[in-house]
This record gives sequence, structure tokens and C-alpha cells, in this order.
Amino acid sequence: MSSILEEIETKIAGLKTSTTKSNVGVVRETGDGVARVEGLSDVMLNEMIEFPNGVYGLALNLEETEVGAILLGDNTLVMEGDEVKTTGKLLQVPVGKALLGRVVDTLGQPLDGKGPIKTETFYPVEKIAPGIIKRRSVSQPVQTGIMAIDAMIPIGRGQRELIIGDRATGKSTIAVDTIISQARLNKAAEEGQIKDYRPLYCIYVGIGQKNSNIARTLAILEKAGAMPYTTIISAAASDSATNQYLAPFAGAAMSEWFMDNGMDALIIYDDLSKHAVAYRQVSLVLKRPSGREAYPGDVFYLHSRLLERSARVNEESGGGSVTALPIIETQAGDVSAYIPTNVISITDGQIYLETDLFYQGVRPAISVGLSVSRVGSAAQIKAIKQVAGKIKLDLAQFRELAAFAQFGSDLDAATKARLDRGQRIVELFKQIQYNPIPVEQQVAVLWAMQNGFLDPVPVERVKEFQLKLQDYLGTRKEGLLRSIREKKEIDKNLETELASALNDFKATWQ
Amino acid sequence: MKVRKETRQLARALLRASFTDGQLDKGRISSLVQSLISKKPRDCITVLSDFKNLLRLELEKRHARIETAGPLDDGTRSKILANLKKKYGNQLTTEFVNNPALLGGLRIRVGSDVWDGSVRNRLQRLEQQL
Repeated sequence: MSSILEEIETKIAGLKTSTTKSNVGVVRETGDGVARVEGLSDVMLNEMIEFPNGVYGLALNLEETEVGAILLGDNTLVMEGDEVKTTGKLLQVPVGKALLGRVVDTLGQPLDGKGPIKTETFYPVEKIAPGIIKRRSVSQPVQTGIMAIDAMIPIGRGQRELIIGDRATGKSTIAVDTIISQARLNKAAEEGQIKDYRPLYCIYVGIGQKNSNIARTLAILEKAGAMPYTTIISAAASDSATNQYLAPFAGAAMSEWFMDNGMDALIIYDDLSKHAVAYRQVSLVLKRPSGREAYPGDVFYLHSRLLERSARVNEESGGGSVTALPIIETQAGDVSAYIPTNVISITDGQIYLETDLFYQGVRPAISVGLSVSRVGSAAQIKAIKQVAGKIKLDLAQFRELAAFAQFGSDLDAATKARLDRGQRIVELFKQIQYNPIPVEQQVAVLWAMQNGFLDPVPVERVKEFQLKLQDYLGTRKEGLLRSIREKKEIDKNLETELASALNDFKATWQ
Repeated sequence: MKVRKETRQLARALLRASFTDGQLDKGRISSLVQSLISKKPRDCITVLSDFKNLLRLELEKRHARIETAGPLDDGTRSKILANLKKKYGNQLTTEFVNNPALLGGLRIRVGSDVWDGSVRNRLQRLEQQL
């Protein structure tokens, strides 16, 4: 091959032109965002191929005489008979800090009208996840600012925690709250209020969502001052299935850049049910055989290879991490459907949101029994462990007793106390949206609950007590909060200080 | 779907049977087609059109299309032919096409391999780089 190339090349060099060798094919069929191309004998799997008019495609199906490709640009520009070229490149997206504060599409092109993104670095969209040698176990917390999660279902840096629930149960709200909480912590650390804090950068991937939803999320994040630490990737419902299929992978590439450079990132896939649907569409149009619920056979691998890319790497590899919060929407609470079971089995735990709880006014509507974090208390600071160690058990016992207590009114003192405690915990864990609570406040409130300061307060006034207490601590006892934040555990001194602060507060509270 | 798979397999078997000593054999191909038509298996027409497609692709692999902006002199033609035949064997069929859109230089396509030394290609690459 090379001899003829050289000979022809020398001839052409004489003609003062240069020759390129390429592998070409011809479009035989196109439609629904895919093209079937004849020829392209040297094309590689997942290689970018170039169509005329600047449209690119990805070769996904390599068959005997044909190649099935998904189109990345305007698919109306591709015609039957067009010549297609291989490029020898993989699909890449821009990465780096220049993307923070921006809203981009699947290919990293800006959608926010704030001008081009200035970055020299590009990462391939599909990348192999870090191996065993590079990894270390999860030990640092991601403070979501949602008390029920930080106390009972802690999330660590490098963990993959699924948020699952029916429509309109507050799944995205948990994700947005977490982003806002990170932004506040990052800002506090920049201002020197928190020492030795590793900032956590957030990437929010919206897949198949309404544009209005993305705009709303953007507005909330901007209002909360979280955008300087956040990138939004939008593959909205009106985008092609190809873009929706690739968006989470593009987001993973952008978050990996932070990990590779020794920083921490949090990525939210909102949501993977729609991602699976987009992939199903692509697969069916490419005529791949379908399996359960018409999903292709590799839909498990699709999500496992995506979520496997979140990791905590060891110090030799920079010590960075990627934490993933995938979201799955269930239909009528059915967690045993195909995609929910797949993603539940891939992730390190799930936060299960229940419609019933939501309408009972328990918001965030986290079901304590079904939610779990397989990383457990390794991702909690000691102070939280001290005050929240038994809460999950207390709540589980409360739920069991509450069912019984409905039948009769004669209860012994121990049962009554347990029920009262349970009701107060449930009240404490109610939290308004977009208002994350700093960890030191959580510790103080839970400590008050654990030490019986809330027992005399009527259940319906617990929330009011908590808010006033937080207010009081924030304005009058800043030193106490700072020492909890810095010491990260409650010792004897802090206990006395907390007790005196709470007694002072109770004296003023009516 | 199953029928489609079977017709494809049959078409592929026909293609495999069309070779003698690694070269396509015209006589064998016509006798294969004749016998297929006389036997009339299920989906005979689909099998034949699949077979035709496979043959077309096979022939394209052995056919060089040489496009030039202007007519070539005999010396250059024979040199190009000699070089191509050295690479692809004597079975290679060639075709010279005049294509003024190339502006200058030449473009050779054998199967799905293309060597593009045309001025148009060079300008296009320059455009992309800029």
C-alpha cells in the first residue's frame, strides 16, 4: 500500500500539490437521525465520520457491507449518494474551568449567548473508567445541605448515589439543593471561612427535559450565586436522540478533567430514564435487536460504563474525585422496572422519594426504609456521626410503632416517648427547597433533638423552634458554630457550650 | 427478519462460490444465477439483488476510478496504470474520468480507498484549517 502511495505522492509533489489518503463510503439511506453508509472499509467503532456540508456522524454499527452512523449535526443536509469520509478521530468535547458558569450543548458549544468558550483542552466523550490501582475508598463527605440525607444517607466524594422517585416528587430539587450547597461552601472557602476545604465543582446534565425546566434551573442557580461553580449541559427534549444519548458522556468527560487535575467534581444526570429512551430510539433506528421493554441488550453496559467513570482516585493520581448523582423517574412507584433495577444495581445506594410522603407534606419526601447509602458513615464527619448515628433506627422503629398506635390509645411510656421522638425527627427533616442547611447547624439541631431539648416543644411547633434556633445560633453564637465546623466533632467543651446556648435560647423562646 | 437473514446468507454463499483461484469467474456467476432462477428458491428476487450488491462491491474493490481535471497524456496514464496494477494485481479494471471540478491534480478511488491530490481537496483542507 505504502509503495504506491509514495510513488503517486512523489508525482503529485512534482505538481506542487499534496495528497491525502482517506477511506470513503456512500450514503445509501438516511432518516431519523441516522445514515447507512456503504463502503468505509477501514472505519473504526465510535469513529467520527465526515459528511458533506460540515455534518459529522458517529459510526456505531459496523456491518459486513454497511456502516450505521448517527448524525451529530443538521441531518437534513445529508442526502442519499453523498460521499462520507473517515476522520480517524473520536468525538471530543472542550473541558476545563472555562466551562464553569456556562450553559452548553452536548458538543460543548455555548447556548447562553455569552460568547465562545476559550479552552485549549479537549477530552474524548467515551473514556475508560479509572482502574483498581488508581482508586481509593470514599472518605470525604459531599455536604448536600439536606439534613435527612446528610444525617441518614450520607454521600461521599467519588460515590454514585441514585435519586429515584415518581414524577414531581422533588428529585431535581435535591440535585439543585446539592449544587447550591456546594456553591455556598466553595464561596465560604474562598473567603477563608472554611480551612482546608476542597472545592466541589458541579456539572448538571439535563437530558430530554423541557427547555423551560432547564431555564428555571438556570435561574435558580443564578439567583443562589451557584453558577460560577457550575456547568449546565442541555440536551433538551427538542434535541436529537443522538445528542440526548451523548450528553451524559460529554458531561462525564468534563467532570473527569477536574478529577485528573486533582480537583473534585459532582455530576448530576437528570435523568437517565430519558437517556435510556433516547438510546433505545437510536438503537431501534439502527436496527439493533431489541430486548426487554424494547431496550437494546447493551443498555445495562450503557449506564454501567457511564457511572463507573465516577471515582475517587488516590494521592499518586492527584486525589481528585467525580461524584455522580444519577436521577431515575419511576412510573407509579415501580422500582422493579428494567432501567430502575439496572441503575439501582450499578450505583452505591439510592435516595427513594415517595409520592405519598410528598403529599403528606414531608418534603423532601425521602423514604427512610428504602433509601440507603452503601458507603455509609465513612462519608460523614464525626460530629454528624455522634448526633445522627441512631436516627435511622429511631425512625424505622417510629414507623413501625406509628402503624400500631393507630389502633389503640393506651400506650406505655416508652412507646409514647419513642413516638414523640419520631414525630419530632420527621418534623426536623422537613426542609424548604433551595435552602441547604450548613453542616454545623445540622449538628446543633440534631444534638438538641438527641438531648431532649425538643421534647417539651409541641410537634406542630418543632419546625418553628428549629428555624428560630438556627437563626439564633447563626446570629448570636457564631463562635460555637465555627468551632463545630473546625473541630468536626463534639467534645466535652462543645457539649457544655451547646447546652448553655440551647438553655439561653429556650429561655427566650415561647 | 428471519427470511432476510436467510436470503443474506444465501447471497453470501453465492458470492463465495463465484471465485476461481481468488478471481471472480464470469462463467460460474452466470451458471449460478441460471440455476438459481431455474430452482426458484424462496425470496429468489431478494437473494439475487443481494448477490448483485455483493458482486458490485466486490467489483468496486477491483476497479480504479482515476479522475483528473484535464486529459492526461499517454505516458502518465500508463505510469499510473502500471503502479496501480503493481499494487492491486492485473485484474484491476480502470476508468479515466475528466472532472473539471477538481481544478487540478488527480484523485484515484479503488474500493473505499481514495488518494486525493486534487487542488480542490487541498483548498478544502486549507479552508478547514483556517
